[in-house]
Amino acid sequence: MRTNITVKIGGEAGQGIQTIGSLLAEVCHSAGLFTFSIDDFESRIRGGHSFNLLRISNEQLIAPGHIPDILVAIDQRTMNLNKATLLPDSLVILNAENKSDSNADIDENSCSEADLEGCKSDNVLRISLNRLAKEAGGLITANTVAAGCIFAVLGTPFDMLKELLVKKFKAKGESVINLNITAAQKGYEAAGTVRYHKQFDWKPTKTDRIVISGAKAAGLGALASDCRFFPFYPMSPATGVIASVVPYSGKLPIVVEQAEDEIAAVNMAIGASFAGVRSMTSTSGGGFCLMTEGLGIAAMTETPLVIVDSQRPGPATGLPTRTAQPDLLFVINASQDDFPRFVLAPGTPSETFESVKKAFYLSEKYQVPAIIMLDQFLATSQVTQQNFFKVDKDVERFILNEDNLKASDSLSQSPDTYKRYSITDSGISPRALPCMGNIMVRVTGNEHNEKGEISEDAKNKVNMSNKRNSKLAAMKKEMELPEIIYPKEADNQFFLTGWGSSKGPIIEAYEILKLDERAKERGINFGYIIFKDIWPMDAESLKPLIANKKLIMVEQNSNCQMGKLITQETGIIYHASILKIDGRPFYAQYIVDKALETIS
Amino acid sequence: MVEPKDYDNDFENKWCPGCGNFLIQKAMKQTFAELNIPPEKILFVSGIGQGGKTPHFMKGNLFHCLHGRALAVATGAKIANHDLNIVVNSGDGDCYGEGGNHFLAAIRRNIDITLLVHNNQVYGLTKGQASPTSALGMVTKLQKHGVTSSPFNPLATALGSGAGFAARGFSGEPEQLKELIKQAMNYRGFALVDILQPCVSFNKINTHQWYKDRVYDIQSIGHDPSDLAKAIMLSLEWGERIPTGLFYQKESTPFHSRIGVLQDRTLISYPFDGEKTAAVF
Repeated sequence: MRTNITVKIGGEAGQGIQTIGSLLAEVCHSAGLFTFSIDDFESRIRGGHSFNLLRISNEQLIAPGHIPDILVAIDQRTMNLNKATLLPDSLVILNAENKSDSNADIDENSCSEADLEGCKSDNVLRISLNRLAKEAGGLITANTVAAGCIFAVLGTPFDMLKELLVKKFKAKGESVINLNITAAQKGYEAAGTVRYHKQFDWKPTKTDRIVISGAKAAGLGALASDCRFFPFYPMSPATGVIASVVPYSGKLPIVVEQAEDEIAAVNMAIGASFAGVRSMTSTSGGGFCLMTEGLGIAAMTETPLVIVDSQRPGPATGLPTRTAQPDLLFVINASQDDFPRFVLAPGTPSETFESVKKAFYLSEKYQVPAIIMLDQFLATSQVTQQNFFKVDKDVERFILNEDNLKASDSLSQSPDTYKRYSITDSGISPRALPCMGNIMVRVTGNEHNEKGEISEDAKNKVNMSNKRNSKLAAMKKEMELPEIIYPKEADNQFFLTGWGSSKGPIIEAYEILKLDERAKERGINFGYIIFKDIWPMDAESLKPLIANKKLIMVEQNSNCQMGKLITQETGIIYHASILKIDGRPFYAQYIVDKALETIS
Repeated sequence: MVEPKDYDNDFENKWCPGCGNFLIQKAMKQTFAELNIPPEKILFVSGIGQGGKTPHFMKGNLFHCLHGRALAVATGAKIANHDLNIVVNSGDGDCYGEGGNHFLAAIRRNIDITLLVHNNQVYGLTKGQASPTSALGMVTKLQKHGVTSSPFNPLATALGSGAGFAARGFSGEPEQLKELIKQAMNYRGFALVDILQPCVSFNKINTHQWYKDRVYDIQSIGHDPSDLAKAIMLSLEWGERIPTGLFYQKESTPFHSRIGVLQDRTLISYPFDGEKTAAVF
């Protein structure tokens, strides 16, 4: 039987909320349980309000939790923000200190009985984190005390927690290990006999699963694609992509370089790619704005380029640590004039890994830029998935080398007459690398002739634009069509339609709606359509699949960008839209409620 | 042996007659010939402007990129393959204006490339607007009441930012210019050669004769290029007398020698091993 428990741990930034969350997730993982964890935090290092929302299940999870089953209120603000939405059977672990307790360093923001006023649940477990931490041997262990208490109410055997602490603090030595075990014990005991009413079957379990974020999946996907150069400029929520490859420097031939700005980052990637090394840069919408001119030179010189856009709400600085899907039309149209490019929007970490590999392959095959759309939600959520690290033995590079240059009888590929931009049926010209042989590789951002010489000739301009655009027909066929699921025989159907990271919440909403009484009463059926490979859109193949279907667009932007794109490319007009622009991720029940509202 | 003419190509030249770029290009060709580097073993990276077009009018590998971005593209290419001989042709607007941030970063990174800045104190390609090195008060069609910002000092900026090689040439002294470019090419690290040149069409003040009357060779008066303090003093001299020559040179560690993985071989030369990659995940 499926058991889901959502644990919400809230407090100030700097109180180690994320540390507790990841400790929890790791122990769950060692018990073979599945987790879906999101970190919600403000753009500040200390203070404010942040929380970790950890959903735990004995079955695969595809979406985050929402209303907490167990609320861990480290500070008053957490209690006050959550008490009205708690379920009657929710369990509250309240960090409540006796403020006259002279034995502890009093946390002024810890909770008091007054904070419980209006709380929907009366299952409250009061503990004093600072006092217990101090008793254990140091205030610094307050997080571990909290974790101990949470594991107790979850019914986790203490040994499993202990084992993880030993592993986790091994490098820091015996005394740190023991300190944390004592702290965890204090928290564990403080729970007494209080247990949450739903329990998992806890036993150590070996699995082939991993707990991973989209950002890390993107970084590893790049390494699996033989990407060796990562120029970047720090920007939330994109820095995690680059951070995830840093531990591999020294083990793999990679260079990670912090550029002076995003303009430099993208141009450095282009320079390295031109010289023959696969490169990737990662940014968010604001940084992508600076990269748009680079996108243009990559397109004009037909230099392969892979960029990750980890989206956040804007415009301008917007909400730096929040999530949104507002960049779709921007990245498809970014940079002046028109040129072919790929835009891929994976929905899960495993899809991200594969999309990045695909982006490198396509970018080199067609000599065009490829952009991968993530967002804060997908980039930072930690999700349990089957291990998906499939690395091919070799990667196909589509580069002319000395041997095939010599072997070729084509005049256009001999040293004297090599034409970097020779006009071909496919639009793809043979690509050689600079200084690798007797030929000279010449590229320019100016319009140019086949040899790469600046040309202002009218006929040449038309020919070269046509050459670049002629890649589109084959590029479209590389795009996977959207996943479309619905009860085939039913009528009166509506399709929840989304792209990228909203995949999981949409599918979970669809599962809920299948059983929904209100929908059944009205004879309404739901299906879903999820786009992953977005651009270039194969409208001809797509049109018959979605014609005569009522699309309810589910997107995290205010102008229904995917809906507009579908209309633009196919002429099909979507039926309705559910647009969430508050910077917080979708959760299934939200989509369910809005979908039912929409059709009533 | 490589000859200067090995660098000739048949692409129609588009500079104005009498442009200083002709002499700079000639000095480049002579340098490469003397260093015995054939055109297929050199990579030009250039920006936007009349100077940025230089590699179009000669043989060699070429990435002619966007305005101001040549150093960023060159940095990427050099990291990918530090065996490449990279020469960047830029200009005063391209390098010190649009690409100013990349100029500072390239000095700090000490990327092992040669930067030739065609500095004519005016925007030639866009027809005569002021550039970052135009004199305060210089009148142009668009700066009708004179330039209101003081000029950028590339050598003082480079020296103050820790550059290991800083020189100034003049298109009207081709022999000295050739030697400076050669020294820059031989230098292990980031080498700046700021090259004064007239713009016959748009700069009616800083003409060939104007420079001729002012420039003097600091080597001929015995300047010691290892003397940083003196080099900085010289870099501040501008007016009746304008110093040219090798201002400063010190031994330095180029960027690729600061990166562990690039110590023994170039980044591009590592074989890809899918199994090894999978094993470290």
